[in-house]
Amino acid sequence: MWQFITDRSDQIVYNTLQHANLVIQAVALATVIAVALAVLITRVPRLSGLANALSAIGLTIPSFALVGLLLPLAGIGATTAFIAVTFYAVLPILRNAVVGLQGVDKTLLESSRGLGMSELTSLWRVRLPLAWPVILAGVRTSMQMSMGIAAIAAYVLGPGLGGYIFTGLAQIGGANAVNYAVVGTVGIVIVALLADLLLLLLGRLTISKGIRA
Amino acid sequence: MTATNETQSVGQDAARNSEVSGAEIRLEGVVKRYAGQKTPAVDSLSLTIPAGEIVMLVGPSGCGKTTSLKMINRLIEPTSGAISIDGKDVRKQGHDELRRHVGYVIQGGSLFPHMTVEKNIAIVPKLLGWDASRISDRVDDLLDLVGLDPAKYRKRYPRELSGGQQQRVGVARGLAADPPVLLMDEPFGAVDPITRQRLQDELLSIQRELRKTIVCVTHDIDEAIKLGDRIVILQEGAHVAQYDTPENILAAPADDFVSDFVGSGSTLKQLSLARVNEIDLADWTTAAVGDSAAEAIRKAQTVGHDAVVVLDNRGRPVAWPWLRQLRNEDRIPSYDPEKLHTLDSRATLNDALDTMLTSSHGGAVVTGDRDQYLGVIDFTSVTDHMRTLEQQAAAATDGQARG
Amino acid sequence: MLVLPPVLVGLVFAGFVVWRQTADLDSVESSQLAWPTIWRLILQHVELTFVAALLVVALAVPLGIALTRGQLRRAAPLVVGIANGGQAAPAVGLVVLLALWLDFGFWTAVLALVLYGILPVLRNTITGLQGVDPTLVEAGRGMGMSAASVLLRIELPLAVPVIMAGVRTALVLLVGTASLATFIGAGGLGEMITTGISLFRFSLMVSGALLIALLALLIEWLGRLLELLTRPKGI
Repeated sequence: MWQFITDRSDQIVYNTLQHANLVIQAVALATVIAVALAVLITRVPRLSGLANALSAIGLTIPSFALVGLLLPLAGIGATTAFIAVTFYAVLPILRNAVVGLQGVDKTLLESSRGLGMSELTSLWRVRLPLAWPVILAGVRTSMQMSMGIAAIAAYVLGPGLGGYIFTGLAQIGGANAVNYAVVGTVGIVIVALLADLLLLLLGRLTISKGIRA
Repeated sequence: MTATNETQSVGQDAARNSEVSGAEIRLEGVVKRYAGQKTPAVDSLSLTIPAGEIVMLVGPSGCGKTTSLKMINRLIEPTSGAISIDGKDVRKQGHDELRRHVGYVIQGGSLFPHMTVEKNIAIVPKLLGWDASRISDRVDDLLDLVGLDPAKYRKRYPRELSGGQQQRVGVARGLAADPPVLLMDEPFGAVDPITRQRLQDELLSIQRELRKTIVCVTHDIDEAIKLGDRIVILQEGAHVAQYDTPENILAAPADDFVSDFVGSGSTLKQLSLARVNEIDLADWTTAAVGDSAAEAIRKAQTVGHDAVVVLDNRGRPVAWPWLRQLRNEDRIPSYDPEKLHTLDSRATLNDALDTMLTSSHGGAVVTGDRDQYLGVIDFTSVTDHMRTLEQQAAAATDGQARG
Repeated sequence: MLVLPPVLVGLVFAGFVVWRQTADLDSVESSQLAWPTIWRLILQHVELTFVAALLVVALAVPLGIALTRGQLRRAAPLVVGIANGGQAAPAVGLVVLLALWLDFGFWTAVLALVLYGILPVLRNTITGLQGVDPTLVEAGRGMGMSAASVLLRIELPLAVPVIMAGVRTALVLLVGTASLATFIGAGGLGEMITTGISLFRFSLMVSGALLIALLALLIEWLGRLLELLTRPKGI
């Protein structure tokens, strides 16, 4: 096992970085999309029922099915993987962002208006900072989920560690089959834990001390 | 008036009993009608609020007092009618711009929990584009004005403050850009009675210094009598039942609604009109934190005092320990000022009695502007004054009955 | 909200049937999309999902009960923590590793599904039981009920809504993960996608994906129905 890893350390490091890269970029994009959607939804209350229904449906549809649906559109490779991961990553963040934004105390919003903040200033300086802990919790869930979805997307040649799992599967009976599968699986678990730590750290840095639990 | 020269006049520690810095507010035939409601919430309200006065809007719940207040800074847009501040129509200005020049304080302070005290106060100056050093000076000045030590409280978050302290910061935030007008919506509704009295005293002390135009909504007639230069008593639909000074409203209620609202025992309420500053204060032995305790004890004993008023380095009273409590000390220790219940010189005799009853000294320490120590008020001087007041009141009612 | 999903699923499925009957398919497509093949895959998928779900409930609920009693109570946070951490492992890795270790086929797939689906039910069983008002338990004991009958007649009925919410979550997880069973030769609708990819037929990939999505929505709906039906009256 150890021999297997050291022989391929460059390649493994490369794929680990690819995996992290894919997921982090997808989650970052998803965060922007989800927060923007949540701002829209909280302004137009009629949309919130629709958004809830759509995200429930979205989370119910298995990721492998979405990958299958995307193939004719985006082809085999990184694009399909990126779209699929981003799609699922949006959903938990969206749900949390809506809850977080709706949870901001109405009197604080009136205060911000009373002090002469514009809508945009109030969003940027009051609503988003107050909703941020809840949004970030959604980002953490999303990040964990995306790690596994990226692994599935490797079946259609998406980048990252998932490829090792399928290599292991393809080489069944071969000497290194288990090694490949273990490196892929454990590698993803480690990347997921590190990413979660990173998000915890981000929380320490970005959540105001005044509202930290 | 631009923001810049407004603040300069206040930034310099303005002379006591400074000039009026407030502006006149005028409401003319203001109506607010909500969609789907038969009767308007505010039905043709006309009111002139003189510059530099505290005007209390008081009335039963649902009378439209809060709606009326919020129309002044356009948090609620009037359906018709005109509102002007200092002769300028509020609808001619952008609502954000308008609100940056009208202070707004609501119940509990409504501080932003994710911002420090300093950041909360700095919001409006920042929106107005002040530079950092000017904002920083202003924050210090305001914290000092509302009786919070800037060094200690600047960097705190709201949840690290007591309710009363939060409310003080809320007032400081409302005053941050030195607006000529301050709107207050039930500002002291969320705190306990003792803290409320203290906050009321402080507001009076601040107003003595700043002379803003303050419009304050309350449902508490006692608060209105205590704080208001004038009181507007509103009935449903924001109809003005009476608009007059507290003295006149108590002496001559305009109709049954007013007399019901003001309530019985209005001779007792007269006590709310008498202020501590009408009474001669006694001098008391004082000592500063860090002074020699033995020296302070000696000074007190020569004039026959059994306790010493301890002042901090800004001349504010922080404690009133008995001599025996000081005997074991070498230097006068520092105390938590929150534990000493002081009276502002504008406090009512009602407040004074309350305070003295909870004090073991049979008296209370009186403070002036910015919590500066003035003297001590004792029980007998208050009761003496009350007796003269009662006699005067009786004479006045007799006079009225005859006239 | 309870009528709409099956109607929508039915409509889309009807659309699929119409397309299947009228589309111009080449020989590979028509053999892979023959109705007997489609039904076989659907049945396999449903079988994987439900066998795993039954095992999950049979294992997780007693385990959850045990972890809220006596000495084991203290182990509950640890067990939930481990189960939570296990959730970070990618499902596809778990499926493949088990297959390499054991064997290909149905029961290995079921084992992977059970491991993956056990957490929500276990967690909700524990929270559900812990959430029961302790005064009610005391009242039960005070009336002379035995510990077992307090559990059966008071605690479990009150915890059922929370447990069933966990079961629904597990069902959704299972139906999705079952689409990975094809990788280890256990069939299911995932096979239609993998066949589509290896034969490069978009019609197969999309049909597989669509059928999995419909099945997932239907099973989620069943889960909600189950949740409503098992809810004790009066709660």
